[in-house]
Amino acid sequence: MLEIKNLHVKLADEDRVILNGLTLSVKAGEVHAIMGPNGSGKSTLSYVLSGREGYEVTEGSVTYKGEDLLAMTPSDRAAKGVFLAFQYPIEIPGVATMQFLKVALNSQRKARGEKEMTTPDFMRYVKERAAKLNIGPEMLKRPVNVGFSGGEKKRAEILQMAVLEPSLCVLDETDSGLDIDALRVVADGVNGLRSPDRAMIVITHYQRLLDYIVPDHVHVLSKGRIVKSGGKYLALELEAKGYAEFESEAA
Amino acid sequence: MVPKTAAELNYGLSLPHRKMEDWRWTDLRQLVDKPYPPRQTVAAAAKDVERLLKSSPFAKVAGARIVFVNGHYSAEHSQLKNDDVTSDVKLDEPVITMNAAFATDGACLKISGTADTPIELLFLATNADARTIATRNVIEIEKGAAATLIETHLGEGSYLSNSVTEIRVGEGARLDRIKVELESADAIHLSHAHATLGKNSVFNDFTLTSGAKTNRQNGTVEFKGQGTEAKVSGAFMLGGKQHADTRLVIDHQVPHCTSRELFKCVMDDNARGIFQGKVIVRKDAQKTDGKQSSHALLLSETAEFDAKPELEIFADDVVCGHGATSGDLNHDHLFYLMSRGIPPAEAKSLLIAAFVGEAFDLIAHEGIKEALVKFSNKWLSQHRRVA
Repeated sequence: MLEIKNLHVKLADEDRVILNGLTLSVKAGEVHAIMGPNGSGKSTLSYVLSGREGYEVTEGSVTYKGEDLLAMTPSDRAAKGVFLAFQYPIEIPGVATMQFLKVALNSQRKARGEKEMTTPDFMRYVKERAAKLNIGPEMLKRPVNVGFSGGEKKRAEILQMAVLEPSLCVLDETDSGLDIDALRVVADGVNGLRSPDRAMIVITHYQRLLDYIVPDHVHVLSKGRIVKSGGKYLALELEAKGYAEFESEAA
Repeated sequence: MVPKTAAELNYGLSLPHRKMEDWRWTDLRQLVDKPYPPRQTVAAAAKDVERLLKSSPFAKVAGARIVFVNGHYSAEHSQLKNDDVTSDVKLDEPVITMNAAFATDGACLKISGTADTPIELLFLATNADARTIATRNVIEIEKGAAATLIETHLGEGSYLSNSVTEIRVGEGARLDRIKVELESADAIHLSHAHATLGKNSVFNDFTLTSGAKTNRQNGTVEFKGQGTEAKVSGAFMLGGKQHADTRLVIDHQVPHCTSRELFKCVMDDNARGIFQGKVIVRKDAQKTDGKQSSHALLLSETAEFDAKPELEIFADDVVCGHGATSGDLNHDHLFYLMSRGIPPAEAKSLLIAAFVGEAFDLIAHEGIKEALVKFSNKWLSQHRRVA
């Protein structure tokens, strides 16, 4: 589903290189965890995949379902099934969550040449999914992420994912700022979306999240490239030893 | 001596200019670009009036209308009778001076009891030779009464519209006033609204400014009785080379009153918006709570917004503040919307609508609010830009 080859990325307005030859292959149905110390390029990878401005790809390629992902606009990527769950979801005053979800879903359907969903159908569709994430109607009326607690923001991200039904989900530090109960709700939501035709990239600093969302593959990112890959046990090893080994290796 | 302009010679009076502090951004000596002869009698074709009547965003909301065509009351199109005007505003303001010299007619409305449906005052100008159309209105909400009043300005062709409205809100009374300036693209709109507020009254005023090539609107609000609350808010939706200048003076003369001002200004192309807001708290006006803010959203690099907030506080136990911001759309907000599949143009429209929506939300009447949202969506679809 996703082929990242020798990806080099620098910040657009300074010379700092952040990704430095990253290669990764993700197949449908797989869950890949990307772990690494702060500053290793984890969040940059998520932004480059979703098309945020401010980054410049200097070398390499990203192919998604056989197409050049980097050539697409952010909204086209989303319509084709790429979804980023933000580490820090953005607050948008004045746009009600329900309205936002409806415009997003119908924009995607329109881009794919599908029929737009009617309001009553849509309300049912969202409420079903919201209930599973303990999101009540009151929260759906509030402006997107405005005044939401850390846990509410993360649950709202997963709700968007459940509503938009993407093929490739990138979860950026979804565990940050969550207590153990909130983490469980979020992880259950994510696990409920695991399917043979959906792939996930779970970006995290800590192993804790991977107790709940069990990955098929674990990669260690250091200084902008993957320095070690393995099965889920690699995460446990990292938890015990820390990242020191990789930082010195790469340096 | 500065030589008189063609318009000044025609009017027989002087126009305000940039060397006057309140008019520094809006030099009428230059902006009133030709003589607009006053007191012209212009007959209007029935079909022109019908078309303009239909173009009011409130055609389905208003219960009763008082219609003025080219500066004269039209009994044929009005559902309410109009009384004679007796306005005694004596402010030394150029717009009022011009109005006093040229006004031909105006609405006179006295409300007692509670008016259930909104009343719309409609001021229409039909396409004819350039001229000045001036009206003087008096709105009186009697003790304990309540009303929602819409004031709509619409027109076609080239004209200068001068509208002065005197508003008296009595003790315990409430007025919700929604003014919508949708004059012709070739028109000049000058106005002054002067409100005096009695004890324990509520004045909720909103102005949408989206028409005319040149717009100058003055508002003065005087608190005359304690326990009174005034909200004066508005939105600009401007494009092309439109110029709109709003100047408000909120005058707290008595203790225990609250004032709020919120203006949200959207400017595209080469449009220029100005907000001058002054809050005066006089010596006796203790416990005044006054806040003012203006926010501009600039959709192009050539649009401009100037804000001049002023606080003049002579009392020592008050809460007052002001804030002004100006900028383009927030890129993080845009990216977040686009990352969910919303194309750039729709994402921008959604954010702009949310921005002005905050001002629309201050309107209590749902039908009027909906009509304005509809208008704003139409405006956005005409001004939608793709970066």
